Amino acid sequence: MTTTIMSFWLFCNIFVLFQKKLLSMILWLFLSSIIASLGFLFLGSPDVAMAEATASAFVTIIFIVCFENFFGIKNLQNFIEEENSKTRENIFKKIILPAFVVLCTFALFMNFLPQAPQDTYLKNLYILRASTDVGGQNVVGAIYLGYRVYDTIFEALLLLIAVVAVVHLSHFDGVYKKDGKQSEVKNNAISLFTVRIVAPITVLFGIYLIANGAITAGGGFQGGLAVASFFICRFLIFDIYDIPIKKVNKLEDTIFVAVVIMASLMVFHGFFGEIPPNYLPIAQNIYLFIMNLLIGIKVACGFTILLYRYVAIERN
Amino acid sequence: MNSIELISIIVFFLGLYGLLTNRNIVKTIVFASMMEVGIIMFWLSIGFTEGMVAPIVASMFEVDNYQVYISDPLPQALMITAIVIGISITAIKTIMFITLYRKFKTTDWDIAKIKSKEVSKEAIQKG
Repeated sequence: MTTTIMSFWLFCNIFVLFQKKLLSMILWLFLSSIIASLGFLFLGSPDVAMAEATASAFVTIIFIVCFENFFGIKNLQNFIEEENSKTRENIFKKIILPAFVVLCTFALFMNFLPQAPQDTYLKNLYILRASTDVGGQNVVGAIYLGYRVYDTIFEALLLLIAVVAVVHLSHFDGVYKKDGKQSEVKNNAISLFTVRIVAPITVLFGIYLIANGAITAGGGFQGGLAVASFFICRFLIFDIYDIPIKKVNKLEDTIFVAVVIMASLMVFHGFFGEIPPNYLPIAQNIYLFIMNLLIGIKVACGFTILLYRYVAIERN
Repeated sequence: MNSIELISIIVFFLGLYGLLTNRNIVKTIVFASMMEVGIIMFWLSIGFTEGMVAPIVASMFEVDNYQVYISDPLPQALMITAIVIGISITAIKTIMFITLYRKFKTTDWDIAKIKSKEVSKEAIQKG
């Protein structure tokens, strides 16, 4: 089963390589990402599968909305590379040299892969001790909120930097004006169904993921992405641009500081005893819930700002 | 080494080939995200055997009896952060491309390189 999905995934990626039009290329990439997320599920990692599915949708929306606004949908369909003359030098530059480089690195890479079976010491340690050390039943959540909390802090910092970069590079301080581009789909049955029925269920699902992140698959990142998709859906269909970007940005900054304080409380307390410290189960569960909630709000704010700024580029 | 690892390595190098052979800036961004998915799949498939389940442990009974069938939780925790970082980096790449397009009106790496050299030469001549 897994091998079948993997071969579908491989063929999708080969199709991506041979597409000439940009729009079809982006859509094939979306299909390959969705199949990859199905593969993650069969590899026994539902957390990564959820994150990848929402991530692929976000990347596709960013590509399509941004380039559709920027180049126009007709240009996007015929957005072919500028014509180049087919001389011998060009064939050498375009096919033979890159293929040689790729094959050499591939051979080197295969040579360095270990043939011995995988060492399972760390895996067994985490599975045995996660529920007593950090708490909860989800070992993945216990790792990224307990044992390797520095990774989570730096990931949150990187998302913050990305938001700052996007806000800085897309200069938009004026008042937003509606141009009526999306008004044609407003009264469509499918769009109404999406906004009124599917989107609220998505928000509810996001809150469920955040609240139950310690027990089942899910957590702050996945729940935050699901909540952010609601605002994007609402904007794309009804053309509502009423979210105060600066306030949301400030909220995200504050929550980042709160995440750092929360994590450092846990870690610095551990310096006097064990790392991670042995708390009571109720304290562990409260810690996990608060961290999941903070990360969820932060991710939702970050991705809402990212997409709103993208659309704002064109409307400037 | 199982077949999934091999397929993910092949996908990574397909993305690398696409990066090297395309002059269009947008296409290189697309291939970079393809390489990223290949890396994630490689990390998750290390040490995988058919029939493994998610690392959600309800009781110590499960740990004692089915420890072999639980998948490795460490790469999964690392890859969740990698996915979120990947989206934010893709956003930065696209916004940088848009600013570059506004400045030089091109989607080609070579033309953008030539034009940026011209701009810097003019700046040097002006002092």
